[in-house]
Amino acid sequence: MAGVAGKLGVAGQIRLVAELRWRILRNHLRRKNSRWDLIGLIWAAVFFSVIVIGLSFAFCWGAYISLSTGHFEWLVLLFWSILLFWQVFPMFVASFGATFEFRTLLRFPLSLTAFYLVGLAYGLADFAAISSVLWLFAITVGIGFAKFALLPSVVVIVALFILMNTTIERLLGSWLERLLARRRTRELMLGLFVLLSISLQFIGPRIAGYARGSHSSLLSFLPYLSPFPPSIAGSAIASAAHGNAIAFLSGAAGLLAYTGFFSALLWYRFAAQYRGEELSEAAAPARVALRAASSTNSSRDALNLLSPQVAAVLRKEFRYLARNGFVLVSLLMPPILVLLFTSQFGGQHPSVTHRGISPDMFFPGMMGYLILMLMTPAYNCFAYEGRGIQTYFTAPLRFRDVLLGKNLMHAAVLTLEIVLSLTMLALRIGLPSTPVLVATLMAVIFAVAGQFAIADWVSLSFPRKLEFGSMRGQRSSGVSIWVAFGVQLLLAGICSLILFVGRWTNNPWLPAEVFTGLAAASIAGYFATLDALTNVAEKKKEILIETLSR
Amino acid sequence: MTDGAIVTERLTRRFGPLLAVDNIDLQVAAGQFFGFLGPNGAGKSTTIKMLTGLLAPTSGRVQLLGLDFSSKSVEVKRQIGVVPEGMGLFERLTGSEYLNFVGRMYGLDRATTRQRSEELLEFMQLADRPKSVIADYSHGMQKKLALAAAVIHGPRILFLDEPFEGVDALAAGALKALLGRMTERGVTIFLTSHVLEIVERLCSHVAIIHKGRLVAQGSLDELRAGIAGEEGRQTTLEEIFLSIVGQGESGRPQMEELSWLV
Repeated sequence: MAGVAGKLGVAGQIRLVAELRWRILRNHLRRKNSRWDLIGLIWAAVFFSVIVIGLSFAFCWGAYISLSTGHFEWLVLLFWSILLFWQVFPMFVASFGATFEFRTLLRFPLSLTAFYLVGLAYGLADFAAISSVLWLFAITVGIGFAKFALLPSVVVIVALFILMNTTIERLLGSWLERLLARRRTRELMLGLFVLLSISLQFIGPRIAGYARGSHSSLLSFLPYLSPFPPSIAGSAIASAAHGNAIAFLSGAAGLLAYTGFFSALLWYRFAAQYRGEELSEAAAPARVALRAASSTNSSRDALNLLSPQVAAVLRKEFRYLARNGFVLVSLLMPPILVLLFTSQFGGQHPSVTHRGISPDMFFPGMMGYLILMLMTPAYNCFAYEGRGIQTYFTAPLRFRDVLLGKNLMHAAVLTLEIVLSLTMLALRIGLPSTPVLVATLMAVIFAVAGQFAIADWVSLSFPRKLEFGSMRGQRSSGVSIWVAFGVQLLLAGICSLILFVGRWTNNPWLPAEVFTGLAAASIAGYFATLDALTNVAEKKKEILIETLSR
Repeated sequence: MTDGAIVTERLTRRFGPLLAVDNIDLQVAAGQFFGFLGPNGAGKSTTIKMLTGLLAPTSGRVQLLGLDFSSKSVEVKRQIGVVPEGMGLFERLTGSEYLNFVGRMYGLDRATTRQRSEELLEFMQLADRPKSVIADYSHGMQKKLALAAAVIHGPRILFLDEPFEGVDALAAGALKALLGRMTERGVTIFLTSHVLEIVERLCSHVAIIHKGRLVAQGSLDELRAGIAGEEGRQTTLEEIFLSIVGQGESGRPQMEELSWLV
């Protein structure tokens, strides 16, 4: 008779998972492409480390000043800023998360406790979490410098704050994933999101007016937030500084209660996953529909100008876009943010600056921002193909058709967003002058067409599979992130230089003329590279298929 | 190179130090139902990938329907259908959308694509879930859809990598009948399967690959003739396979080594 598996404790299970992660990473780095990825990531790590460490000094100094001068409300603000960054940043920049789907561990005899702890630990392997923990450490050091005796109390509060934030972040992530796994919910959330953004526009000027009325409006708003964890954390430290042990303990107990509450909710979520909850479109059972007879007009095609292959890729891309909630939301974000920026920096009554930025300055900046936001996905354009990538190589087509279809879809989205943003701009602060408008639009064409060729090459050479509709654990390859960043920086530099020369020579039409030439050259260059990219695809197909079919 | 629907000449593929496929010379005539067999890791999938353009050979040539694959790849691909390993489906499209997509990729007009899609979905018993995306299909349903996509353009050669794996008996019966009819009409079918009974029942010709080398090739009768079976009983394909592949396998694990289990 065969024996059965013995019991392994929670610590043993967690150790095994850590070993597994290490082995996966080590084996992953043996691949040539992955080594490039690692180099890219190291560069990214250095770049972001500089920002995070710089901010750490700011947090340390802020905490020190707050304690030294007795302005404890500033400490509360520091805790609020960390909480907001920790919880909101991962939603917008999901690409920095861990790439390991820990739910796959469910096939093993893992206890629910181990599953929960592993899931929680993964919450700490995140850019936002690592940065926030570092800043909290900086706050602790700052307070330690100001009042060394407070250190034990601060350590307790900070530890509770970290645990609570990790729990909330995992909770939000898993709930959002669950909610957005269904198409109907995605549509509902999207509608709510858009409504909220539009509503903000209406209340924005009032809030801005209120803010102009009082410099300390943010601080005066703080008492209303006192029941919430960041305020409790700041107040508890303030109580400790005043020697009020009871207030400190009640503050710590409050944080503990919040942590317990969120932990219970997270336990409930993870328990559902542990029981085998499946997130998919199938969760909402579809009614079986009768088959419709084929339409007599079925041969009419709105995309008749394109070859059948390009049209097919374009349609497929549109369907993928419409079904991928997170990508769709991320595409809607830029115009909405443009709307917000117009109220903050533009017009006659900007809320942030004293004088509004003129449309001539605002429009080029806005377009630059749109391109920065919207072109990044083009650098990993096969991310969601999965095993379907094989179809492109078995079908009788030249790969240029696939690239053309994908780029056309991307260009269509960009055009839509530019039109939307331009309309908003016209309604809110007015259109820029004709030379600036033409120059900027030509600059956009130059930047976009030029980037497509490079982005296609990067997508073929350094592909990275992303999970469809998932916000957690998504990251493009390190190389593609850096190439995208470098190219956009370079293009921004070229465009700024040309605009500057136009101002310097006092010739408003000069940038428009130069950009028109560059746009024409860029489009010609793009089409010229398509054949070369087809050859690249042929050479790189094994890497592509292997990476995306995994 | 000689004529034939599928002809390879010294086809070789290396993965670093590993020689996955070693100088294979295949000959498959038009209209043959050809079974390509071999144990796990023998090089079957690597060969089929090279035959369908999913993998470039390290050396050697592939000729399909008289056309050299490397120089006429688009013309060749237009005439072949493939169910690749892992099926190659776009999982976030519905079955109907996927078939329409594939049909258009093969250059069919929209009306024809739509008509064929509907007929194939009906035949494969997939028409009653029009709104489900492929990711929510069962494995068997995905297999049937991959098969439908492989034949939508009416290929002259069909490459099938484990086509019946996970397909229910009812659908498998219908599919076998369909494939049989296709070979009668001159379509060449190149099939890999681990289920030797299926290969024996469907295929007229068989090749066996072992450790990257082609160790047998011919009609079933030719292969049977080379194996001494019991008198009065026809040798089965399984016996042929074990006889050819099992030779020199002295290093096979012994049951005694698993005493903790059995």
